[in-house]
Amino acid sequence: MTDLLDALAKLLLFPGFAFLFACAMLFAWIDRRVIARLQGRVGPPWFQPLADWIKLLAKEDVLPVGANEWACTMLPIFSLAAVLAASVYIPVGGWSIQAFEGDLIVVLFLLSIPPLAYFLGGWATGGVYSVIGGNRSLLQYFSYEVPFLMALCSPAILSGSWSIAQIAARQSETIWGVFLQPLGFVLAVVGLIGKLKRVPFDIPKAKSEIVAGPLTEFSGRKLALWHLSIETKTVVGIFLLVNAFLGGSGVTGLLPPPVTFAVKSMLVLLLLSVTSVLYARLRIDQLANLGWRVLAPLALLQIAVTVWIGVR
Amino acid sequence: MTTQITIPIGPQHPLLKEPLSFMINVEGERVVDSALRLGYVHRGIERLCQTKTYIQNLHLFERVCGICSHVHTTAYCQGVEALLGLEVPLRGLHLRTLMCELERVHSHLLWLGVLGENIGFQTIFMYAWRDREIALDIMEELSGGRVTHAGNVIGGVQIDISDEQFYSIVYRLNDLEQRVEKLLDVILHERTLRARTQGIGYLSPEEIRRYCVVGPVARASGVDIDLRRDSRYAAYGRLHVNVALAHEGDVWARTLVRAREAIESLRLCRQLLVALPEGPTRVRAPRRVPPGEVVSRAEAPRGELVYYIRSDGSDKPARIKIRTPTLTSLITVHDQLEGVETADISVVLSGIDLCIACADR
Amino acid sequence: MNVSQILAFLQETLPSERLEAQEMPINEQVISLPPQTLRPAVQALLEQSDVYHLSTITGQDMDGQIELLYHFWHGGGLTLRISLPRQEPSIDTIIDLIPGAAFYEREIVEMLGVSFLGHPDPQPLLLPEDWEGSPPLRREFALPEEREEEEG
Repeated sequence: MTDLLDALAKLLLFPGFAFLFACAMLFAWIDRRVIARLQGRVGPPWFQPLADWIKLLAKEDVLPVGANEWACTMLPIFSLAAVLAASVYIPVGGWSIQAFEGDLIVVLFLLSIPPLAYFLGGWATGGVYSVIGGNRSLLQYFSYEVPFLMALCSPAILSGSWSIAQIAARQSETIWGVFLQPLGFVLAVVGLIGKLKRVPFDIPKAKSEIVAGPLTEFSGRKLALWHLSIETKTVVGIFLLVNAFLGGSGVTGLLPPPVTFAVKSMLVLLLLSVTSVLYARLRIDQLANLGWRVLAPLALLQIAVTVWIGVR
Repeated sequence: MTTQITIPIGPQHPLLKEPLSFMINVEGERVVDSALRLGYVHRGIERLCQTKTYIQNLHLFERVCGICSHVHTTAYCQGVEALLGLEVPLRGLHLRTLMCELERVHSHLLWLGVLGENIGFQTIFMYAWRDREIALDIMEELSGGRVTHAGNVIGGVQIDISDEQFYSIVYRLNDLEQRVEKLLDVILHERTLRARTQGIGYLSPEEIRRYCVVGPVARASGVDIDLRRDSRYAAYGRLHVNVALAHEGDVWARTLVRAREAIESLRLCRQLLVALPEGPTRVRAPRRVPPGEVVSRAEAPRGELVYYIRSDGSDKPARIKIRTPTLTSLITVHDQLEGVETADISVVLSGIDLCIACADR
Repeated sequence: MNVSQILAFLQETLPSERLEAQEMPINEQVISLPPQTLRPAVQALLEQSDVYHLSTITGQDMDGQIELLYHFWHGGGLTLRISLPRQEPSIDTIIDLIPGAAFYEREIVEMLGVSFLGHPDPQPLLLPEDWEGSPPLRREFALPEEREEEEG
């Protein structure tokens, strides 16, 4: 019985859904604040992402005539559910709800469901902007996903284990992955920017071209769920990178594990925020060029180097 | 995919600040055809002005456009002053020209921000509009209004500048020039911005001449026309204007031209202030205008602005015709959009610096 | 090229007309032409002089006739004045010579009811498609406030 209660507490509270929700709001606020300050503005107060989310819940839920209502209701739920399921296997501050050999593959698979749900959301609503945005999101997915997957396989090959908790533990004992595999870290960050559809890869939801892409016709609670799944995916993606390249919550000798983990997550978040200020939005063909001509070969190179080091 | 989709750009679209309708046919990610529909902001100003006196029309013409309001009244007042045979005092001409140049700076910075926003480079938008506040603050100090200044009157200007304001304004103009130089640096060297704007929307000099395009769009293709230097209206006869030219003819060239023009305008503002003569700023103008016709031209931020005024001897104009420069750029959009990628539609539409209120009147 | 040179070769092109240039402020020269000579005149200007920039085409309803003014710019202003009869005014289009005239001609079609022969697409430019009533710049068209003044 206590096992069940324990499991529920972990799932629902910490490091589960409630914690992730709080992190999603916090990370969204930090992101917006950092971007604002870099752009010479002040930025929103701490409760802004939460207030926006609550406001969306209260808005009227309208769908265009001819949209597939069942699909439009279920797709944001699928997207959020996949992200939350992926978070089960990612250790936070040393604690993870579940871990097993090979959970890295499961997490990567689960994290590739939200982009597909996003694309289907565009097609389910119909409308010019949504369809074009959906097409672009699929093209973008093919451009960044392969380098991202390969970049995340390198720490696994290096550490000799396919469990995220093990990778983090081994790295914190020996040396962080970012020092041994800097190229892999860079590729993973670039892939994460593409996954999260942040500038310069916010092509599917390019506001000045296709209004809001696949999410144009969503409103009210459905849109609130979409936004929550995007913000939670940011958190889960950052946690994944911290565990795969920055040694998770390994002891640095001075700080307790949760604080170390928080500091490392903030570093990755800052990296994401700063890159969204520096660049213009790319075109989809420029992204496809970048993905297949630059990123994928570099990722292959990274894996080759890792295997060579491992063999020796 | 060989099916064609029609993307409606407008009348409501995040890309447009004013309503305009472009129906763009795309095949896959390539534009095949486009259809333009104007008139959503048509207020019938040319007909309306016939029912109002010349002085009331000052108020009306300032509101043809929000961004280039001062140059509209400059062209109008110039024309009416020519019909009345008035000579505006030199101080008035300097102040009138000063506001024209400040307006050019604020318009180009506004446009740079809009271009940045439309290519997803929000940082440029924030920086450009923050720097634009300096120009708007100066205009507000001089005239009391940030956007519509009511500075021009028939016979001169009704704004003036005191000695304390003089030093503060020159200091701020220097500061603004440094900031615009930094923005120019970004335009020249930032790779993603160049990747999005280079090679898009090319217009050859022959097309410019055939479509009678004016303004920065023409100068970006190497066609050297600038009414400030060619017509020497207002106080431009006393200034040497360096016209910014480029030869690539694409949206990046237009960005360069506008940024360089903004820096040149700041230089001209300083010259006008330093050489500001003493004396009155206006002369009295009678209410009735003797019969006659006049064609008055001015260089708005977007190009050549033409006012044709005919008076029949009463205190109301018989006919006023306005031709705004945005119309000349809109004709070229159909050609510019041929074969362009969908993502570049926003770049092309931003590159021509739309001022739809001007085009519709 | 100054105006006397322009006047000279225009006179050559149109020997049957007596052309003279009048001055108009600001820095504008006006030459009056009969409607049927507009196209040959514009063609001559484009081929033989440095005049190519059409600033705009003004249309106005004068007493008894519709007047069209073609404003050119070549470092100085040059205006060609054409008078058309009020009943069914029409003139040849110059859109094939100067494509930039397209919007100006369309505006005159809808505002004054002039027809431009040979214009490929004379749709209204600014007025809505379902506009009923006379062209707005004609004298017959009265604004609501003007109608009130007449009644009151």
